[in-house]
Order: sequence, then C-alpha cells, then structure tokens
Amino acid sequence: MESIVLNINGQKVSCPPGASIYEAAEKNGIRIPTLCYHPELKPHGACRMCLVEDEASGRLMASCVTPAAQGMSVLTHTPRIINHRRNIVRLMMAEHPESCIVCNKGNRCELRQIAANLGVGEYGLYPMPNPIPFEQLNPFITRDLTKCILCGKCIRADHELVVTGAIDYNHRGFKSRPATLYERPLEDSICTFCGTCVSICPTGALGTKNTRYAGTPEIEMDSICGFCGAGCSLTMGVAGRTIVDVNPSRRKVSVNGATLCMRGHFANDFLNSPDRLTLPMVRNTDPSAKEMHITAEWDEAISLVASRLSDIRRTHGPQSLAFIGSSKCSNEENYLFQKIAREIFATPHVMSAGWEGGQRLLAKLDDKTLGACRVSPLADLEKSEVILVVNADPESSVPVAGYHIKRAARNGARLIVIDAVQTDLARRAALWIKPNPGASTAAVLQALASLMVTDNHYHQGFVEQFCSNFKPFKASLSIIRPDQAAAQSGVPLKSLKTAVDLINGKKTAFVMGANLLDSPDGEQTLDAILNLCFLTGGIGLKSSGLYVLAPENNLAGALDMGTAPDLLPGLVKISGDGKRGIDPGAFIEAAEAGKIKAVYIMGENLLRSLPQQDRVAAALKKLEFVVVQDIVRNRTSELAHVILPGAAVYEKHGSFTNMEGRIQTFAPVAPPPGKARPDWEILSQIIRAMGYPEQYQSIEKIRQEIRHAVPMYQRLGNHYQEWVRNTEAGSPFSGDAARFSFFPVSALPPSASDPDYPLLAQIRPVRYHLGSGTRTSRSGRVQAYGKKGEIELGPETIRSIGVNGSGRVRVISRFGAIEREFKENLKLPEGLALIPMALNRNDALNLADLMGNSDAKALGWTVSRVRIEKI
Amino acid sequence: MDSNPSHQPIDWKTLTEIIEAHRTRKWSLIPMLQAVQEAIGYIPPEAIEPIADALNMQPAEVQGVVTFYAGFSLKPKGKCVLKVCRGTACHVKGSRSILRHVKNELDLEEGETSADYQFTLETVACLGACFLAPTMMVNRDYFGKLNPTKVTSVLGQYRKNREDD
Repeated sequence: MESIVLNINGQKVSCPPGASIYEAAEKNGIRIPTLCYHPELKPHGACRMCLVEDEASGRLMASCVTPAAQGMSVLTHTPRIINHRRNIVRLMMAEHPESCIVCNKGNRCELRQIAANLGVGEYGLYPMPNPIPFEQLNPFITRDLTKCILCGKCIRADHELVVTGAIDYNHRGFKSRPATLYERPLEDSICTFCGTCVSICPTGALGTKNTRYAGTPEIEMDSICGFCGAGCSLTMGVAGRTIVDVNPSRRKVSVNGATLCMRGHFANDFLNSPDRLTLPMVRNTDPSAKEMHITAEWDEAISLVASRLSDIRRTHGPQSLAFIGSSKCSNEENYLFQKIAREIFATPHVMSAGWEGGQRLLAKLDDKTLGACRVSPLADLEKSEVILVVNADPESSVPVAGYHIKRAARNGARLIVIDAVQTDLARRAALWIKPNPGASTAAVLQALASLMVTDNHYHQGFVEQFCSNFKPFKASLSIIRPDQAAAQSGVPLKSLKTAVDLINGKKTAFVMGANLLDSPDGEQTLDAILNLCFLTGGIGLKSSGLYVLAPENNLAGALDMGTAPDLLPGLVKISGDGKRGIDPGAFIEAAEAGKIKAVYIMGENLLRSLPQQDRVAAALKKLEFVVVQDIVRNRTSELAHVILPGAAVYEKHGSFTNMEGRIQTFAPVAPPPGKARPDWEILSQIIRAMGYPEQYQSIEKIRQEIRHAVPMYQRLGNHYQEWVRNTEAGSPFSGDAARFSFFPVSALPPSASDPDYPLLAQIRPVRYHLGSGTRTSRSGRVQAYGKKGEIELGPETIRSIGVNGSGRVRVISRFGAIEREFKENLKLPEGLALIPMALNRNDALNLADLMGNSDAKALGWTVSRVRIEKI
Repeated sequence: MDSNPSHQPIDWKTLTEIIEAHRTRKWSLIPMLQAVQEAIGYIPPEAIEPIADALNMQPAEVQGVVTFYAGFSLKPKGKCVLKVCRGTACHVKGSRSILRHVKNELDLEEGETSADYQFTLETVACLGACFLAPTMMVNRDYFGKLNPTKVTSVLGQYRKNREDD
C-alpha cells in the first residue's frame, strides 16, 4: 500500500497507512507530549496531552487516536495548543497531591516532566485532592490512587498485555479510579503481581514496595532475567553497588516487551540477601571448632580444588569424579565446565539437575525432529490459529509465555487445553479437555490423531512432501479406538471431535510442560504431539510451532553446551559404553555405592532440587571431596569441602539461550558482593591451576571457541540477541532424505495403581518461586508474602480423608512424607492432590522417586502416588 | 412482601434464567445488566462473576460497566425510586426547596434508601420535562409543577401503609 504523506509543522513526513498522527510524528523525530500513549497498547486518547491542530480547519484533535490522512497538514506546538496542554496539566495538578518531595517516582514522574517542559509551576487552581487510602499491605505493589491521572495504562496493560483482567475503571467522572473486583486490595484479587502496571504507570500512583530502604537508582542498565526460560529483558536501577529496582527494558525487540512476572519484577531482591556467599571457604580442619567452614584466599581455595580432584582421579580413576553444571549458569560457563570435566579430568560424568527439569525432553524433541524444534519464537504464537496446550501451566512456570498464549486467544486464536487440572489457561480455553487424573494423555492425543486421519482432516500436502513413515503410522492407528480411549480417559468423545474440528486446516502450535516425560506414557505422549504436529503441517523452518516451557533461564543453553550425560557441545551424541555419563539420579546411586568419590557442583543446590533429600545428603556426605560453587549459602554448600562464591547473572558477562532459541548476551549491572567472582573466571582459574595455559582471560575468548565448536552458536555475541541457527545439514526441509518421520503408535502401558497409595500427587511450580526456590526463598518480598503453599484437594478427596475444610495433613509416598496445610479446590477431581513446589525447603520433592527417571514405568520427579492422613 | 428485602436471599432462579438467555451472545452485557436490574431491582454483587463468566469477560470489567452507569446499582433500592430533577429549569423554579422538602418528609439524604426499602432518593441532572418544572419521577411516573403540598400528597400515595390497603 502507498504510504501516507502529510505535513507536520511545515515538514513533509511519510508514514505507513493506518498510523496515527502521533506515530507519524514520532517516527520523524517530532516529539509530542503524551501521558497515556504506549507503543504496545491500543491508543486510548485519555490524557489529551497530544492535541494537535489541523491547519485547514483549526480543529484540535488527539494525535494518538487520529489516523494520519493523505495530504493533511497539522501543527503540534502552536501557542493555542500549548495553552490547552498547560490547562490540562493544571487540572491534573489540582487533583494531584503535593507530595512530590516524598514520592518515590521522583524525576521519573512523567506528569512532573511534562509540567516542567510546559513551564507550569503554580497551577493557580483550587486544589481538589481525591482522598483514597494508601494501599501497601502486600509486599510487591504500593497503590496511591490519589496520584492516579486516569491514563488507563495499567488497565490496558492488564487487559491487553498480561490478559489477567484484575483491574478496570470503576465509577466515572471525578470518582473514577482503577479498581479490582469488589474494590478489594490487590492481594485479595486475581492480580498476579506481575508488576507490569507499576513499570508503565507515568506517576507515583503505582510503586514497588521495598521491604527496607533501598535508595533511588542512580543509573539504569539492561540485563536478562535469570529466573525462568523466557529470558526477559530487564532494566535494573543501581544505587551505589546495589540493584534496587527492576523494570522491563525499553529495548525495541525482546521476549517480554513491557511485561514481566512477579519473580522477574520483585524477587530479584534476593541479590541483597545476607545469605550471599562473598568469600571462598574451606572445610575447617579443626573438628572441635564450632564453624564448619573458615574463609580462605582465592588462590588457596582454587589450588585445593585442583590438587584434591587430581589426587582422587589418580587414586580412583577419572570415573570417580562427577561434574554437575547448571542450567542457571551461562553458556560460556557451562561450556568451560564440561570441558574441564571431559578434557582435563577425562570423566564422562557431566550433568545438570536441569536434565530432569526439561533437558531430557528437549534432547528427545531435538532428536525426533532432527533439530527442527529449536527456533520457536513466542511471538509466533500470536500468529497461530489454534494453540494446543498439553499438561502445561505457564502461569506458574513461564508466565511470559502464558501472556503470549492469552494474547493470542484474546485476538482470536482458539485455545485447546489438555489438563486434569483447571489451570488459568483452561479457564480461558475454547475447549478444555479434562482427562481423569492418572489417565493417559497419550491416549487422548492418539485418539485425536486417529480421528484426524480417519476423516482425512490433516494437511495432506505437508505429509506427502515432508514426512516419511506415514503408511506404517496410519496402519498402527488401527489399534486405536477413539470411543474407547475417550471412555477410559473420562473425556467425552464429543470434545475430541470438537478438537479435531478446531484443528482441522488451521495453523496449530503445541505447548508442552517441561515435565511431559514424567509419566509412564511420557515418550508416547511426545510422539503423539509430534504426530499431530506433522498432521497439521505446523512445523516450519523459521518457527517450529513446538514450545517446551523451560522452567530455567538457560535450560536449553546448558544442554547445547554439553552439560548433559550423553551429549557433547552442539548436541552431538556420545555413544559407546563407558563414554556416556550418568544422570543425577544415577549419580546419587553411584555415590552411595562408593563409585563416585568427588563432585564439583556449580550453581546447583542438590539438596533442594533433587527428590529424597535425606538420601541425597547421605550420599554427598560419603564423598571424599565436594566443591560447591554458588551464589547463596544453602544446604548443599554446608556439605562442601570448598565453597567458591560465584556471581549472579547481573554481576557478570555471559549469554543465555531461552526457550525460543534466542541467545541473549548480558553484561554486569553491579559488581559481585565481597570477593565473589564471575563463575567463568573461577573456572578459568581452575584450568590454570591444573597446569594448562591461561587461554580464557576474557568472555570473548570462550565465545570464540564456542562459535567454532558449536555451529548452532556461530553468531553468539555478534549482537545482544541472536538466534540458534538450524545448521544446513540438519535442516529437515533441505534435500529429500531428511524428513520428519511419523511415530507409529504402540499400545500404552496399562494404568498402574497402588492400593496403599491411592492418590496421585502433582508437584507443581508456584508463581512466586522459581523451581526449587533456592534463590526466590531468599527474596525479602517473597518471604514477606508468606505463602504457605497449601496442598489443594478436591471435595471428595477431603471427605475421604475425613477432615474438615482446612487444617494440616500428612502426605505419605513410598519415598517420603511431608506435612502441610491443605485447602479445598472445588474444581479438582477426585484422586488428585496438587502440592506446590519450592516451599518449606522444597520438601514436596521428598515424595518423589529419585530413581523415577531411570525406569520408564515410574512417574518421574513431579508426580507421585501418595496417601493422605489427617493429623 | 417481606419488610426487609435486603435480607432476602438473591433470586438465583431469575438471575440464572437471565444469564442463560444471554450466554455467549455478543454485545449482550448491557442488555443483560438491564434485565437483571429490572427483574431484581439491583445488580447483586454476587452476580458479577457468573455474568462475566457467561460472556467470557473478566469480572472487574463487568463491575466497571455496572459502576459507570447510573442506571445500574449494586445496592438494593427501595420499591419507590424518587428522582428529583435538579436541572436548570427546575432549579429556577425552586427544585432546591422541593428536594429539601422530600428529604425532610422521608428523612433521607440523596442516594440513600429507607430502612424499610420503601423509598430511595436520587437526584438527576434533567428529566427532560422542563415545561413541568419543578419535576420529579417516582419509578416511571412523572410529577410536575410541584409544590410542597403536592410533594406531600405524592409521597403519601407511595407510603407503605397506603399501598397495603
């Protein structure tokens, strides 16, 4: 379409059709003041600051909501307009409290900036303050609605970006204010405390609550959030050496745009926790001393690590050493770490606890799609026509991915959710398929595939051109009886047919939880998802349409860098006995058996992130030498012989690969506390102490090596954000040989049950903690939030236990027992218990089977069979 | 009729019927709210969530609409809703005294409802019947060219004991 040419202040400018006058001006460097405009929000025209004058008619119009028209001529700064703007600001000021001197927004207040620019000092009107009580009972957001100027940005961000719907305008005229349902405080509403409204508020009406005096930011710097796998861009405000303020970055391109989640926005105050490790420490040799560890110099600690590990390797062989890396550390660090393990100490035992947290699934998915799954931009969800969510609850695991899904649904994509639990997404779904607890998800998906193939409701062109193995797959579907599968899983056949109708002929995206494999039919569920993906032709080179909700910031990157038992950097498979390493469960078994003698743990709190914590502790205590390199003091570091204080994300250089395949680099925002050092520096010193030439003095040296060793990362560090590259050789769309292969369906394992443990417990992440909660539990705000993490039970289950509406219960599995409060969840089906993770030292994982993943029939780390007793 | 309708349980049967009649229909929030207001006399706050659910909206949005329009009320109103016109023409014709007189007669302030839920007193900016100024409305009936005596007699018509006769 032809672009629109118009005249602004006598200057000829052009803009694309549909753009507003405001956008046309902004694009051409003409600044018009505004308080309610935000590029990511629909124009609203509330504040009237952006008034411009039409030269022909003399009409005043709000430029943000007036489309630019061909040949129009507007003026933006005539005395008449400025007079109007001044009057609007004066009216706002008359309603605004005169508390600037104590307002935390300070000079960042947009009302103050605009008033100053317009030269409005004394507003000269009768003050009409709107008395509304100050709200600050929750530890995250303070609300002082006396300062609200009704720009509606918070409401629009809540509706359009985060799609929660916690607030809306209430009343009208002078009384009008944003309010929650029944005007309850935020903590009693459906507000998720994502803080998006706080960052977008132009005045001090919404603010960040600080648990103690923090100071006003002196400088702001960009970084990448170190919590979940979304990899949001942050801007961090620093006062002195302390990070005091976190907001979404203003970068043009980012995963999160103007949004963040509760963790990213508010939980980064863990950085200032007194539990931060600031000095290297070694085990006290004096057994009578009270302190377990004494501080040491860096050289002393590093040479102790090098010499002890060398000794043990000499005495017991390389197989006696294990290296546990971290899906929270950077690509560069994981690369160096696995290199130290594999090349210097020659041990195959390299892993990270993220292996069970989703890396196993990513590796399988990569294998089954020949690498085509790696690039899946979340923004493409909004282009999908149908989104099928399988056992995934992004609201608590990867909230920003949830925003993308909800936005897509709001804009017309049909959302289908398969989950036994009514998640936030299930509530908003066009279709919620609700299998009975413990019923096979694979059976439901196979039935869908069967219905699609039988009725020819699939993308035949794609299947013929890009897929192989369709015939055997079609033949294998003969064992599927959709009506039987529906009956067995408790899903009406009608819902399955509705799902097929929704999917038929539509561009479909698939979202799965990181724990998809944690069930006896896990692998078949994955196969069934991929079959559906091939049938719909949804997989593409630019975007796979397959999304795994990575719960940790660098889950994918650590895997790509080879911090995995059977993969080298670049996902190169290791074959041959003795060359493959062991996974974390097997590591504990080997430590118990005395086969492993020493372990180097980087950035992982095994006593919190692994099931059966007592067993893990006993196994670690048997080891001759334990090195823990971490940022906070934790239960695992208590068992260490040497503690090396590392740096948090915001205190070092590095790069992360998020769940989309976006590689983002970051630079330090603040220095590490005390004598703590960036993890890659520590590793490079270990290499030197082992007698190798010093070759990793800078992060760039490591990146150079990665770019060379891992073709997918050949652009690492070119720009602050790059994408994982599908290498030509691995591209399933090139040549004839490499094609997607259908996975013939096989009979599902019979549903097992255990009369002693009749309930199924799902151990689920919570919104206010990340993973096992080592970092978030040290956030002052999360602590003040004081959530106990009640177990959720359905009404029938509560009745069968013989307890009343609330109280404490004991949950017992074959592997452990915990005690917790419980609460009733009316929507929860019988036989299912939801147990929140991360609370109370993450004791919920004690219910799971540490060996769960080594046995295909077992349940994995996030599901367990339990019985519940009243106390 | 119960002397205290506010303590009456909400008529969920009527509510559910109205909600079901409008379920998932586009643009039906305001018609639905009007139907509820008409049938129940107010929008029970407890109804906001089921209404939002039926239209795939968020409850806070529904509440925003309810509180925006003066025609919707979240509080039960009296059987007789008095709207005293405070428009310019009525003002000139002495509507301030009319209002004062009504307040005294009913012992109510603007926006209040009597304890027996017989009367609710409201003011409006203009009833559009300026030729009858000063005017007021009781429910759907207009009363014009008011004076204190006439007001007393109009109110008398609506007092409870009279109606029960």
